[in-house]
Amino acid sequence: MNKKSLLMVMAASACAIPFATAQTASPGGSTDGDTLNVGTVTVTAIGTTKSVRKTGYTVSQVQGKGLVSSGESGVIQALTGKASNVQITKSAGDPGAGAYIQIRGQNTISGSNQPLIVVDGIPVSNSSFGGGTDGVVQQSRLNDLNPSDIESIEVLKGAAAAAVWGTRAANGVIVITTKKGKRGMSIEFSSTYSIDQVNREYEKQGTFGQGSVGKFAANAANSFGDRIALRDGSDSINPAGARFVSDDGTVYGAYAAVPTSATNSSGAKGDKTVYNDANRDQVFRNGITMNNNLSISSANEKSNMFFSLSDWNQKGIMNGTSDYRRTTARLNFNQHVNNKLDVGLNAFMSRITSNRIQQGSNLDGLYLGYLRTAPDFDNTDYRGTYYSAAGIPKFNAHRGYRRYLGDVAPTYNNPGWTLNEQTNTSDVTRFTMTPELGYKWKENSKFIARLGYDMSTDRRITYFPVNSAGSYANGSFSDQNIQESELSMHFINQSSFKLSKSINLNTTAGYLYTYNTLYSIGGTASQFIIRDQDRFAFINATTENQDPFNSYSELLNNRLYAVLDFDIQDKFFIQATAASEASSTFADRFFSPSASLAYELSKDLPKSDLLSYAKLRASGGRVGVAPPAYIWNTNYVSAGSSSGWGDYMDASLFGGSIYRSSTQGNPDIRPEMKTEIEIGADFKFFKNKVSLGVTYYKNNIEGAVLPITVANSTGYSNQWKNAADLSNKGFEADLNVNVIKKKDLVVNVYGNFGMNRNMVESLSGAAPIFLQGFTGTSSRAVEGQAMGAFWGGKWARDNDGKLLLDANGFPQAASEEGVLGDPNPDWRGSIGLNGNFKRLSFNVLVEACQGNQMWAGTYGILKNFGIAPETANEFTVTADEAQNIVDYRGVSIAAAAANPAAGNGLVMTNADGTITCRGNIEDYGNGKVWLNQYWYTGLGGGFGSVSEQFIQDASWVRLRELTMNYALPEGVANALHVPGGITVGFTGRNLALWTKFPGVDPETNLTGVTNGRGLDYFNNPGTKSFMFNIKFNL
Amino acid sequence: MKKLSYILVAGVALMVGASSCTKDIKEINKVNPGQFSDSDPTLMITGAQLANVLVNEGEAARLAGIFSGHHNGYDRQFISYAQYNMTAGDFNTPWGNLYTEGIAQCRIIREKAARANNKSLNAVACITEANLLLTASALWGDIPDSEACNDAITAPKFDKMSDVHKHAIALLDSALAYGAAGQAYGSAYAGSYDWAEVANTLKARAYLRMGDYTNALDAAKNGIAAGNDLMADHSQATPGAWNLYYDFLDWNRSGYMSASGSHMEALLDTGSTKCRNNAKTDELSRFDNYFLVDYYTPLDPNIDGGIFSATNNFPIVSYVENELILAECYARGGDFPNALVHLNNVRSSNAATYGGQYDAYDLTDFASPAEGIVEILTEKYVSLYGQIEPWCDVRRTKNAIGVTPYTGTQLPQRFLVPQDEINANKNAPAAGSLFDALELWPQ
Repeated sequence: MNKKSLLMVMAASACAIPFATAQTASPGGSTDGDTLNVGTVTVTAIGTTKSVRKTGYTVSQVQGKGLVSSGESGVIQALTGKASNVQITKSAGDPGAGAYIQIRGQNTISGSNQPLIVVDGIPVSNSSFGGGTDGVVQQSRLNDLNPSDIESIEVLKGAAAAAVWGTRAANGVIVITTKKGKRGMSIEFSSTYSIDQVNREYEKQGTFGQGSVGKFAANAANSFGDRIALRDGSDSINPAGARFVSDDGTVYGAYAAVPTSATNSSGAKGDKTVYNDANRDQVFRNGITMNNNLSISSANEKSNMFFSLSDWNQKGIMNGTSDYRRTTARLNFNQHVNNKLDVGLNAFMSRITSNRIQQGSNLDGLYLGYLRTAPDFDNTDYRGTYYSAAGIPKFNAHRGYRRYLGDVAPTYNNPGWTLNEQTNTSDVTRFTMTPELGYKWKENSKFIARLGYDMSTDRRITYFPVNSAGSYANGSFSDQNIQESELSMHFINQSSFKLSKSINLNTTAGYLYTYNTLYSIGGTASQFIIRDQDRFAFINATTENQDPFNSYSELLNNRLYAVLDFDIQDKFFIQATAASEASSTFADRFFSPSASLAYELSKDLPKSDLLSYAKLRASGGRVGVAPPAYIWNTNYVSAGSSSGWGDYMDASLFGGSIYRSSTQGNPDIRPEMKTEIEIGADFKFFKNKVSLGVTYYKNNIEGAVLPITVANSTGYSNQWKNAADLSNKGFEADLNVNVIKKKDLVVNVYGNFGMNRNMVESLSGAAPIFLQGFTGTSSRAVEGQAMGAFWGGKWARDNDGKLLLDANGFPQAASEEGVLGDPNPDWRGSIGLNGNFKRLSFNVLVEACQGNQMWAGTYGILKNFGIAPETANEFTVTADEAQNIVDYRGVSIAAAAANPAAGNGLVMTNADGTITCRGNIEDYGNGKVWLNQYWYTGLGGGFGSVSEQFIQDASWVRLRELTMNYALPEGVANALHVPGGITVGFTGRNLALWTKFPGVDPETNLTGVTNGRGLDYFNNPGTKSFMFNIKFNL
Repeated sequence: MKKLSYILVAGVALMVGASSCTKDIKEINKVNPGQFSDSDPTLMITGAQLANVLVNEGEAARLAGIFSGHHNGYDRQFISYAQYNMTAGDFNTPWGNLYTEGIAQCRIIREKAARANNKSLNAVACITEANLLLTASALWGDIPDSEACNDAITAPKFDKMSDVHKHAIALLDSALAYGAAGQAYGSAYAGSYDWAEVANTLKARAYLRMGDYTNALDAAKNGIAAGNDLMADHSQATPGAWNLYYDFLDWNRSGYMSASGSHMEALLDTGSTKCRNNAKTDELSRFDNYFLVDYYTPLDPNIDGGIFSATNNFPIVSYVENELILAECYARGGDFPNALVHLNNVRSSNAATYGGQYDAYDLTDFASPAEGIVEILTEKYVSLYGQIEPWCDVRRTKNAIGVTPYTGTQLPQRFLVPQDEINANKNAPAAGSLFDALELWPQ
């Protein structure tokens, strides 16, 4: 190695804030997701840089511009499709929604499966506080960053790359490097206008009205009512009855007492209008986002500086109060004091305000009320005044399809109420400060001290006015303040030695201290005293209805590590890492060793145009997952018992009672241990035109900590234990092809492919672990299955797998539950095309995820409600056939037609004697049977006990991104006094989606960023976007 | 430059020092600042009693009521339940309530109370545990008892139903030996109950279930006196304290469960062939107390001014039950005059509670002794509306009062062994079928 290149190496491995002379260290020219840019550098887990050529492990690098062009508000979401085996799942299409990151499969059961995020060498929070089967879609704290500030992101997938982080590294590390000042001075202003739309919706039937057994019934839950088309045209209203007067004066009178009969299936209902479209338009709109960014960059020999301001202002696709506004400011500054000393500071602040919409299994949620609404009910007027027949008013009355007069709160919210009357704000302030000092104390040694402080507060208000549905009918308000902080101190010493003529050694030794606190305080007030004024005040409830709560946790961690990097003959690169860690959550120090080897094979091969470069690499290591805090003891907790249906007894209302928790603690808990090996190779062919990287990996996680389910008859429901062993193995490949490279035309094809097989090897014999979901259907950890496996009720079958049918020929529920499916994909991949033609640059990215299943919970429930179009099919049988085809009750079509209780929406005898029925004909193996209301509201629907039928293939292919940018001719730019140029562009995101999954984008998850996966139950929908941007370089 | 080096080293030393001194890494996560690590037994008993209330009035009572014909499923999952389509997972929650929140706590309380020589508390814990065991065994038959709630045993064996009942009786005898009396340690309950009377009625209930009418009679003679019912206290009109039927039927799950089409409706509805009204009886007032017409469903259990109103207390063990145990035991022993005395006590209590007409029956009103026993059982079935015990009577007497199943020809005989227990306890039997008869009650 000559002197010049040695200097380069030193510069490159120096510091996240490079020397002013180390501009070469900034990675340049790599395409999105390309791991193979030989000659460029990558950022290591501790924020220093290293030549890509010399790494023995996989690193996926994503450039900042790729993040920005994706048009996503959040950094995580913008990563999607850009690196192999990095799976990103957005919770929902709500503005600012958090996302779940999974790198090479799941590594823990009770802990977080989210990777560690390191920004400029300092760990930062990516927590997502909250997430369950109801409530609102929460944000991920990583989204607080401004994607435009990011220079590059390195995704370190394997144990070897991340070992210095010890028990925080098991899920991989995402290393984010923010921008530095560039030589000279530049000012950039960009502005993006974007339109979001819902990308997938449920169809609703419009043939049959609200009601049951084929007859109309006001306020009924289901739409198994009469035939809308056969009604007489106008409603019969009782002029002397009660009425609802909406805020705009529209009057809805009580239906007259016209009983339904054998000849009148519609009773007082006469209106033939189907409101599905109107009700849909009440819910959705075009979401609009304005995103403005200003940055100033400047550098000279002594200092460099990057300053930015940004404002992201988004209105969501749901009408009413769905929005997200993020304002950020950043200053990165570095002073090269003299030849030895560098001082720098990265400072960032972000403020986010957001209004969210209730979703999920939630009577006050949007989709639940909207999708269940009967097709013949008009949701437009949701708020007004109810007048009893005697004329006594009730103000702020809430009208919905389950209470059309609003006399009391409806069973489900009218979507208008959910969107406009309820309040769910989040108000976040975030600061990150990273002062840093670099001191070159010897010619070959440099010391770095880096301090990091990351703090966020999130104030959340949840407000349900009086007359909201369900248990909030008398109003409920909660105010919660969550404060999270992470203090870190990081000391690094790097030295380089020339051991012999052909052997160089770089050493790194470090000490890292982190102290994390999470504090939450808040309270709720319910059963409002003043019922008609919206006030966020606890005093609007009597003392027994005021409920304070708090929680506090702290974690302390310190870590010593050393890294040796050997460079032998500039051909063999060996890295050995050792880290020793102490943590407040486990008793003994944890040791994480790792090693990697890279061999540049092409140096030993004759020079060839076919194979221009080849590197073989192998690495292995051990990292860990820290157990959760405070699980050493069995606690004594506030007593209370709940039935699972909402009814409960609370001891605090009976003078208080503190008894033993049903979760048993364990003082012997130790960290989970992940051991991983990976082998791989990187190639370049045809004069570097084609690059290909392949990697195989295999890992085992021993002693995963979880509260195993124990037999309740032991007196406990759960016990903390190092009980589970998990494994992942997989393969990943990244490809880049320079198809054309001419002055005016550059075309690249790029792509990646990843597959991962996860397995819960052992739970020490414990019962399947509930991760998230419902009593009937859940995502669980089950021995011998992949993590997150679906669990629930199955069909009863004989030993040959044939359905066991009941006397009427219908399938039956098995008495025991079991595994139903797997939410993990067989493989994921993406392929893209980018390049430029003269002044036009473009990028197209298509992404696929195949073989994953999802629980179509919403669809199952829509069958129960008679909303799913499938339930509104019709068929006609002859009088003879009608004798023999029976429904779930065992009643034949003929008998149903003869029964005066059945309306025309169930069966209708035609003039020629044939009978037309609502529903479907099915043969389960014992002759034809009639699937109708009785089947769909029983075992054949989402409220029946057999969830097996709703586990569906959720594979998808999507046009993830389509970007076109055009740089205006210099003459135009100059004429407008913009010397650096003007670029205009368009980005489309999620423009097309191909999937068989019904009703919603399968890339959503009800339970947000939790380990329970693949659940769909009235989730808020996903979106597609059209973005227009303009950029000025001054 | 040297100077700078010293300053740097000093600065770093300062920071490292600060980081290692402020907090002891081994102590930070030892105790959760938001939780307790122990509790006084007198503070634990209310929690165990509330678990007892939840089981006897909550989901287990609702399901038992569907199986006995008190209630009917009307919407959602409850439609399947009333078609007797249930899976083992549906029974997890009440099982967990019984063991983790009830029985386990009682055993800790008893141990702590014995150490503190607090006999009064020990007696109440014995009664609470017996009550929980009797309820669990009524629902599942064989259940873990002798090896349950013991930190040393991870897979408790299932004891025979008869042994669990004997153990419950022994616990009640201990309570009496400890001098159970008055209303000590009863924060979950209301009413002017007396623990000794409660223990005796529970004993009578256990013996009756075992078909031991002699001992049942003896115990019931010292059982609950008029006006001394042990009631779950629902006097506060707030979730977490109010009537659990109200909470389910009105607050949380309106329309899921109905009385429409139930055997109870048939017995009280004047339009039904099974209606109990006769020359001496008019139950219209009781019908109005029990039911609401066309509220959420065609016929709802009365949550608005009736039996399951928000602040109506719920009987855990009552005078009426005790009297009807006496009546049945006398009748089974051939002493019909005495049986009638106690049946008529209940009838006059009905008149006082609901209004309506409940003239005293005399021997000539019944064609046969068997008819008299059916009347006693039917009266108990109606009077204990919403409680679990009528389902026990129906099974014990091979459905002597003629409840019609909602589907098929059989009434469910038991709850399924919960999925959670099957999954985690290698000694658990298979889930079984709802129609498997229990040890004490062969069909």
